[in-house]
Amino acid sequence: MSAGQTSLRFRENAVRALGDETLRAAMRHAADTFGTKRADAFAPLPDVEELRDRASAIREEVLANLPVYVERFAASATRAGATVHRAKDAAAAREIVAGILAERGAKRIVKGKSMVSEEAELNAHLESAGMEVVETDLGEYIIQLEGEPPSHIIVPAIHKNRRQVGSLFAKHLGVPYTEDPQELTKIARKALREKFLAADAGISGANFAAADTGSLVLFTNEGNGRMVTTVPPLHVAILSIEKVIPSLSDLPAFIRLLPRSATGQPITSYVSVITGPRRPGGATGAQELHVVLLDNGRTGILAGESRDILKCIRCGACMNVCPVYRAVGGHSYGWTYPGPMGLILTALLTGMEKSHPVVDASTLCGACEEVCPVRVPLVPLILGLRRRKVREGFADPAERRGMALFSRAAASPALFSLGQRLAGLFWPVARLLGGKDVAGRIPPPAKRPFRRKAP
Amino acid sequence: MNGADLAARFLANAATAAAGTHLLPGPDALAEALARIVPPDAKVYCPGSTAIERAVADLFPDRVVDYAEATVTVEEVFGAVAETGSLVCSSEGGRAVQAGLLPSHHVAILRRGKIFATLDGLFSAVASAPPANLTLVTGPSRTADIELTLAIGVHGPERLTILVV
Repeated sequence: MSAGQTSLRFRENAVRALGDETLRAAMRHAADTFGTKRADAFAPLPDVEELRDRASAIREEVLANLPVYVERFAASATRAGATVHRAKDAAAAREIVAGILAERGAKRIVKGKSMVSEEAELNAHLESAGMEVVETDLGEYIIQLEGEPPSHIIVPAIHKNRRQVGSLFAKHLGVPYTEDPQELTKIARKALREKFLAADAGISGANFAAADTGSLVLFTNEGNGRMVTTVPPLHVAILSIEKVIPSLSDLPAFIRLLPRSATGQPITSYVSVITGPRRPGGATGAQELHVVLLDNGRTGILAGESRDILKCIRCGACMNVCPVYRAVGGHSYGWTYPGPMGLILTALLTGMEKSHPVVDASTLCGACEEVCPVRVPLVPLILGLRRRKVREGFADPAERRGMALFSRAAASPALFSLGQRLAGLFWPVARLLGGKDVAGRIPPPAKRPFRRKAP
Repeated sequence: MNGADLAARFLANAATAAAGTHLLPGPDALAEALARIVPPDAKVYCPGSTAIERAVADLFPDRVVDYAEATVTVEEVFGAVAETGSLVCSSEGGRAVQAGLLPSHHVAILRRGKIFATLDGLFSAVASAPPANLTLVTGPSRTADIELTLAIGVHGPERLTILVV
């Protein structure tokens, strides 16, 4: 599924995105809709700040004792009848999942939305092993037909408009063209219902994993997550280790915060709590449940200065309000996770050498921090990564020289005045040489600098 | 909060989530209500494993045994949460929770004494020994994956009707 990381080309990606009017219209519409819905959903809730404090404290507690809670979850889930696997990295996770499926001769796989499976590039691996993997979340289904990665962690096809979806369905599913979202949804329902009933296995992610009971918790709206986890005889859940919460009784705080932050709903249509496979004499659940816990560098992050990003509960609110994300869309970031939380995870999980331009994809305005339901300190985290980028020698040499020059000039009033006069003098030249790029984007220096206007 | 207030709050929140809601005087009123809600030609799945289900099962002569073939599922559910307007469906007692998922219309019968005021109340009641599957159902299946425009009935029911007795 993932077409290879392009984070190093963030600038080119962004320039292309900025020139794509369809994408920009879709992003503007999304930004407006999300902003209103989120505000409306939180308005009637009393003590929102207290609730955020509580959720933040629960996540802090998890990080303070992560190995303990992960062990406890694994033990509880095993007691409940699940088979728990630990994957050190993405390659190990792919091998484990492919192994489970191959051993049972599973060929037809239905899949619920899982960003961790995107991170692990699971689909491509299973397909190369001859399995049919069908994404069943409507947004994921759309981008799978298009052969694209998701551009938003909650609404994967947010970059597409209804006409593009209509054409895509007409082309791939042999149905007459329609651009009515309700009709398009019906078409997908019909096509995917057959897949659910015929599937050998279902693969899902999980929003949370309760350490005390070994339960997996899934928040969904469409019902595909419920199908994937209850209809096929085999269920494989893949999740990253930090999804664990201490207790099932911690869940209400997250039910109150996650859907409101993500889509502006007081609760998703479905919240499923799955504890082990189908029990003897039972009629719900897969006969066999496997849980794959992916580390993929998180234990390393936990020990470092960026550990607080592991508090994130993946609501996507930070990207919805980010002026950079809203302008350039999710694909520009070039990896699985976009927006403020995404650029931090991209740098940490894939390494600075593969991703350093994305740590600059923030204005540091702090809108992300303001909406984060679990108080992830996103701005300090981004600043920390920028310092690391400079320290590790990934800063642009021209930018470094410019900044060094500026810091010297800014420390001396005489040099600063000289610089201002020179800027005024050279502006016509720069404008001539730089053409539209300079003239259109950089305002001309003021005739009389502000410093001299000040008393 | 007393029982009547709890039921009223639950029904108001469920209605906001686009569920159809009916407050009946008691189980005796179910037959008449179901006759109005379930079309006579519907293929009905009714598990018949609780007293209420057994009482109403005979209303549907063309019952199907496989919920995957049903157009309507009529069942009694485990409980509800007033705070969110959610039904609580449980696999406890050999129940198929997905029977309320596959058909296009889910008709849920809820005894009014089984409404929790808050999510905390529900989870503290079930946290010590959760069933294999506990699902909170709030309104019908929905998506906003195309232009963030709400569409109802993706993979789950297009209609959710709740009868409180």
